[in-house]
Amino acid sequence: MMNEWLTRLRFLFTRRKTDELEEELRFHVEQSVERNIAAGMTAEEARRQAMIDFGGVERARQQTYEQRPGWWLGTVEQDLRYALRGFRRNAVFTVPVIATLAVGIGATTAVFSVVDRILFRSLPYAHGDRLVTVGMVHSLEKQEFMMGGFFFDWRDHQQPFEAMAIQSTGPHACDLVENNPAQLDCLDFDAGYLPMLGISPVLGRNFLPEEVLPNGPRVVIISYGLWQDHYNRDAGILNRQIDVDGSPARVVGVLPRDFQFPTLQPCDVIFPMVLNKADQKTANGGYGNPMRTFARLKPGVSIEQARAEMEPLFDHTRDSFVPAEMRKDFHLSIRSLRDRETQDAQSMAWILLGSVFAVLLIACANVASLMMVRGEGRERELAVRSALGASRGRLIRQTLTEAALLSLAGAAAGIALAEGLLRVFVDLAPTGVPFLDRAGLDLRIALFTILLSLLCGALSGLLPALQTPRVVALAARAAKFRTRTVLRRSLVVGQIAVSMVLLSGAALLLKSFRNVEEQSLGIETGGVFTAQIALPGFRYDTTRKQMQFYLDAEAAIRRLPGIRAIAFSDSVPPGGWQSGMRWTDLTIDGKPYQGEGTGDTLTTRKVTPDYFSALNIPIVRGHGFTEEDTHSAEREVIISRLLAARIFPGEDPIGRRVSGRTVVGVAENVKNGGLVQPDAPEIYFLRGKSESDWDGKKPVLVISSVLSPKAVAPWVRSQIAAIDPTVPVQMETLDQTVSKLADRPRFETALLGFFAFCGLLMAVIGLYGVISFAVAQRTQEIGVRMALGATRGNILRLIAGEGVRLIVLGGMLGLGAALAAAQLLKSLLYNVGPHDLVTYAAVALLLALAALAATFIPARAAMKVEPVVALRYE
Amino acid sequence: MQPSTDLLQGTLDLLILQTLAGGPMHGWGVAQRIQQASKEVLQIGQGSLYPALHRLEYKGWIRADWGASENNRRAKFYSLTMTGRKQLQAELKTWDRLSDAIGLVLGRIPEAAG
Repeated sequence: MMNEWLTRLRFLFTRRKTDELEEELRFHVEQSVERNIAAGMTAEEARRQAMIDFGGVERARQQTYEQRPGWWLGTVEQDLRYALRGFRRNAVFTVPVIATLAVGIGATTAVFSVVDRILFRSLPYAHGDRLVTVGMVHSLEKQEFMMGGFFFDWRDHQQPFEAMAIQSTGPHACDLVENNPAQLDCLDFDAGYLPMLGISPVLGRNFLPEEVLPNGPRVVIISYGLWQDHYNRDAGILNRQIDVDGSPARVVGVLPRDFQFPTLQPCDVIFPMVLNKADQKTANGGYGNPMRTFARLKPGVSIEQARAEMEPLFDHTRDSFVPAEMRKDFHLSIRSLRDRETQDAQSMAWILLGSVFAVLLIACANVASLMMVRGEGRERELAVRSALGASRGRLIRQTLTEAALLSLAGAAAGIALAEGLLRVFVDLAPTGVPFLDRAGLDLRIALFTILLSLLCGALSGLLPALQTPRVVALAARAAKFRTRTVLRRSLVVGQIAVSMVLLSGAALLLKSFRNVEEQSLGIETGGVFTAQIALPGFRYDTTRKQMQFYLDAEAAIRRLPGIRAIAFSDSVPPGGWQSGMRWTDLTIDGKPYQGEGTGDTLTTRKVTPDYFSALNIPIVRGHGFTEEDTHSAEREVIISRLLAARIFPGEDPIGRRVSGRTVVGVAENVKNGGLVQPDAPEIYFLRGKSESDWDGKKPVLVISSVLSPKAVAPWVRSQIAAIDPTVPVQMETLDQTVSKLADRPRFETALLGFFAFCGLLMAVIGLYGVISFAVAQRTQEIGVRMALGATRGNILRLIAGEGVRLIVLGGMLGLGAALAAAQLLKSLLYNVGPHDLVTYAAVALLLALAALAATFIPARAAMKVEPVVALRYE
Repeated sequence: MQPSTDLLQGTLDLLILQTLAGGPMHGWGVAQRIQQASKEVLQIGQGSLYPALHRLEYKGWIRADWGASENNRRAKFYSLTMTGRKQLQAELKTWDRLSDAIGLVLGRIPEAAG
């Protein structure tokens, strides 16, 4: 067997001269002739008889040739040469086809390279598909967490996981104190963390078990970025003592360059997470320290199974740790790591992918349509080839070869286009899109593109190939016209339908985006900017020191020219992190609040008196906080109008007690749930001069100035530096903050709008092509009709009527599909229903106008046909 | 006379191999030999002969060399290779079994090969 294959292979590579076969066959005939002469025939008769005996020379030659292994490769080469020659001759056809494909394939490739990591590509860990995040969630913390008080319970009694590892809840700021100081992000994780993810340090080692014990040696693992930027990738970093937050730690390892933390938060320095079972039972009021837990499922265990198996442990914990009235609010959550990393980006990714595939579909339909037109033009040529013995299969292969060639050329141009588009995407994209910094055109994407182009080639090649000429094509010209047009017309109807879907999706998003942009936020953003001061915790280690710093800074900045108001708050509307409170924690006049349940939460904010004037939030009843209040022992609150209406419907809230504090005022509502979420009721606490008012989250400085923030910002910086030159200050205008929040809808709208535009353009070109071609085919018929008395108006109606039928049919189909598809968009829409009548009417009108224009241009040409010319038309 | 395309394809291969077992031969010779040996019953049309010869050559069962014919003309001579010889033995066995079996079914005693 081996031998046989080797022989075959040899013949594949050594080309045999066809002359040899010729000579062999000639020899055969000569022998016959000689024999016949010997048998007594004349020379002429002998040759004639020999030829009769021999039979079809050409057939024998062909059959012999086809015995050769891989003989068909030669015909592929022929097909290719033939196709290329055709393309060169017919640039009018080739250029638009390649351009169409390039747009379709390029856009799809660019989008795919963005969504690939979100939806498909396996996570960069060993067994990434089995990694999950485990913990409990409640309405104020939607990311899974655990407490040291019950973690050991869960870890020791769990069944579904083969490994569990923990990290601290999130990175915290820390200081590298050296001759080249830097502020870094620090994190803790335990010794099982890296092994569970299947990651080994690129240099050095992981934490040892004894290093995560209490009072163990102080060691750290550092990130590749820190090693590179700060230590110049010096291999001598191992075992070096570095000074973090004022105490030395020994570096034992360096993380790989492309390592990403499962929380996707970048960190520079990692300490061992020291957890003592006994300590955790008493720490933090018996709850233990909060942490994030990740786990690897045992092979074959599904997330649902794991959830079912963990439920009893969770129930036990909830019943022993959570007060009875809050238990309803706590849930067990186990999510795949992919879901946690991508959060809500998945639906956006699917929508983008779906819409770009729709564009690709339209592009392929256009190419198929163009190829059919070309095929009709070459009807006679193909018929002749067919008559000369080319098999149907051979002709189909020729068409497919041409389509594949075009697609690959389109893919090459498309990749170049994708590179450009990707850059635009990355510039445009909001910060919330995960892995975007890693998106790029790599081998995997290139393979996808090639596959895509072949698919597109098959699609656009097979349709025209299905209609290879019959023998009648040699004689007939118009008879076979019908069946063929049915196919092309359905393509156009499909294109119109798909672009209707794209257009209405884009229009809905556009309208939603306008609503987002034009809504009133309830705050003044012009001239307002925020400053975040990151005080190094180890030098400002008491709340008193921190408060003093903040108050000093406030006083210094207040003296600057142009400052209208300055205030501290723990957060700033309309979006981002804002602290919250459960309804169950609310008391009214000393009694627990009895109203609506725990489903949604209140927003809370701890502000200094000038907060309301800095953001220009009107106080609609009562009065705001005053400077005197900050020194008084009397605790006061201001509530939002929404909250007042909810807890004191129809009553005067002023003077009532809420959570043990007196309501002194009612503030107008502000947007506080992000740009597109409904507003939450809000409660403002006074940030006074006592130490406890400055506990918890580091405050943000809100500065309103009559001068441009650009001018004021450097002064603010220098005032803070005058107090402590080492603390970093991060400043941003409120307009920038708001604009960043709108990045996401802007991104979605821009992309979908672009796709819809491409789709519409291609569909209209496709329609134009079909109608023009029909006019060209029917010139003679039109001439006859006119000669028989049809008016130009009749002709216009005849031709335009056909276009209108296609438009109406496609539009109706598209409308149905669009209404169904809009359900998918629902989560992205703000203040627009998925079935917004005005939007659909506008889209239908736009599509109809564009399509009618594409119809009337060729229809007018038909109207101008001169009967005499047309009748002579051949 | 009916052309021999009625022959089962495998049978033609067997005939060619058997014919070449007697020594190298050119295509025309193979056709003549089969015709003579079968008492003019089997006429191998060239349309089948040359594809078969080439097929066998590509399989590596026979090989082709250019040489001088009996009347001193350039001709292509085919000869059995080692694999071809083995193949011939195997096919002969198969043939015997097959013809015995068919003979049994038809109720005839197989004639002695002549």
